[in-house]
Amino acid sequence: MIAQEQKPIEEILGYLEGKNDVVIMGCGGCATFYHTGDKKAVDEMADKLEKEGKSVTKIPMPFSMQVCDTEKSAVFLNKKRKALEDCDAVLVMSCGDGVQVATEYIDEGMGLTKAVYPANNAIGLVGGGPTKFKETCLSCGMCELGKTAGICPLTSCGKGLMNGPCGGVRVDDKCEIDAEKDCAWVKIYERMEKLGELDKFIEMRAPHEWSKCKRPRLFEIEEPVNMMSAMIGAMPGFLTYTFSAKPKLEEGKK
Amino acid sequence: MPGEVYSQLMKELAEGKYVFTGELEPEKAGDVKEPIEAAKELVGLVTACNVTDNPQSFAYVNSLAASYKIEKETGMECVYQLRCSDRNRMALLSDVLGAGVLGIKNILALAGDHVSLGDTPDAKPVFDLDSTTLIYMIRKMVDEGKDLGGNDIHNPPKLHVGGAAAPGAAHLKAEVAKVKRKIKVGVEYLQTQVVYYPEILDKFFKELGKVDVPILVGIFPAKSFGAADFFDKYVAGVDVPPDYLKSLEATKEIKDKEKKKQEIDRINVEYFTGFLEYLKGTPAAGCHMMAVGYPRIIAPLKKVME
Repeated sequence: MIAQEQKPIEEILGYLEGKNDVVIMGCGGCATFYHTGDKKAVDEMADKLEKEGKSVTKIPMPFSMQVCDTEKSAVFLNKKRKALEDCDAVLVMSCGDGVQVATEYIDEGMGLTKAVYPANNAIGLVGGGPTKFKETCLSCGMCELGKTAGICPLTSCGKGLMNGPCGGVRVDDKCEIDAEKDCAWVKIYERMEKLGELDKFIEMRAPHEWSKCKRPRLFEIEEPVNMMSAMIGAMPGFLTYTFSAKPKLEEGKK
Repeated sequence: MPGEVYSQLMKELAEGKYVFTGELEPEKAGDVKEPIEAAKELVGLVTACNVTDNPQSFAYVNSLAASYKIEKETGMECVYQLRCSDRNRMALLSDVLGAGVLGIKNILALAGDHVSLGDTPDAKPVFDLDSTTLIYMIRKMVDEGKDLGGNDIHNPPKLHVGGAAAPGAAHLKAEVAKVKRKIKVGVEYLQTQVVYYPEILDKFFKELGKVDVPILVGIFPAKSFGAADFFDKYVAGVDVPPDYLKSLEATKEIKDKEKKKQEIDRINVEYFTGFLEYLKGTPAAGCHMMAVGYPRIIAPLKKVME
């Protein structure tokens, strides 16, 4: 998931200065998990903007409907075409991906040139939960996990070193940059030790192939996902999850 | 060619001579007058001096420019420190070639502190290479005349590459494994982070076992309480002994500047004499005296080893 947090309201109000009619668009994807774009977040943002004297139109997205999926956001944007035509600005409560997909569709798909602003700061591809998350993947295009005992040094090492640890590991095996974070290379060493692979640890890993990450990366698949069959197919699993006991994962977890 | 010796530092290490090196720090300035003055004081006392590259991620005069200028004006052989924090592999390669062009004969290859720890915390950290891959690249350039991509280098540079080790690392096994990795890719000598406690160094040498690469052990005689305190608080992986810090702190009360200097020198000589005596009995090939801005302490400390 793409973790995100809401920007300070002062920054958002700064973007919206002089813009009286505002459309707020939510996101039913990742933003729902971080309470930064679900219906409640959209309602609360609307209240704040209305208190500042602005006129607000809301476009909440239902759960599992992401702004970054153009086909889905297009459906909900088109339903509010009139409000979009009349507005001075659009505030998108998603990650930067969603903001840009909405911007492009409003501009090129709907033929409306509108100022579009972000409400959130995206802070990475994270794993974990339900309340504590950790950035784990850079989406770098050349996964190195097979060489590092399943821990990504590009993401988990503060310096992104392919051959650590650096000389700055703290006494409690924490990172020199942040006393709260574990040294990824100590973790990699310990896992390799358990796996009996320390011979691999002292081999030099070649510099990362950044050529696999020429931005912006474009991507194509042959068949689009069929939403209806995916949703119906997910029902048994969803019911299993709903009625199963959940392990308590976060007790004592840092 | 592997095995060839290009610098005085490597010559003395190869001969098994006990080597002393010093440290010079270019600053945030439009000149390098201060390190040049310090270098002049150290000529004849140390074999070479490291010239720091944005230490603790404070952005200062480029260490290659400083190394060249110091060598030219004082004759002091320099060890050009080169960090991965601020340059990608292309810039590193350009700088290594530049060092060759300017006649620099030693490079100390470092990962470098994270940029967020210094005076320009919003800079984008680079770390395209790490210390190991930088050592590997330099050896490939010098020995094979090739860059990382295997492209030919016309008239390749002739210089040596050293690396760092941190005997005080909390996870000694992981640190030693990393040091062995550096040795595997061809590091020509090692210089340790500052060490204060013999037992730390003993454990490090024991864990490392016998290696063919000469090791210089780092010490840090501090010119003031402030310098030692900064080191203690901000330099990663180093704890300054509390009793040493305390005796330096007491010198803050001394009003007379000359007397204060004398007392600081006395504390350093007293504190490090024992450590230097101890070093004689270890596998250390020499001592790196990280006495930045404090060249007058080198001569009395060196005397201990005679």
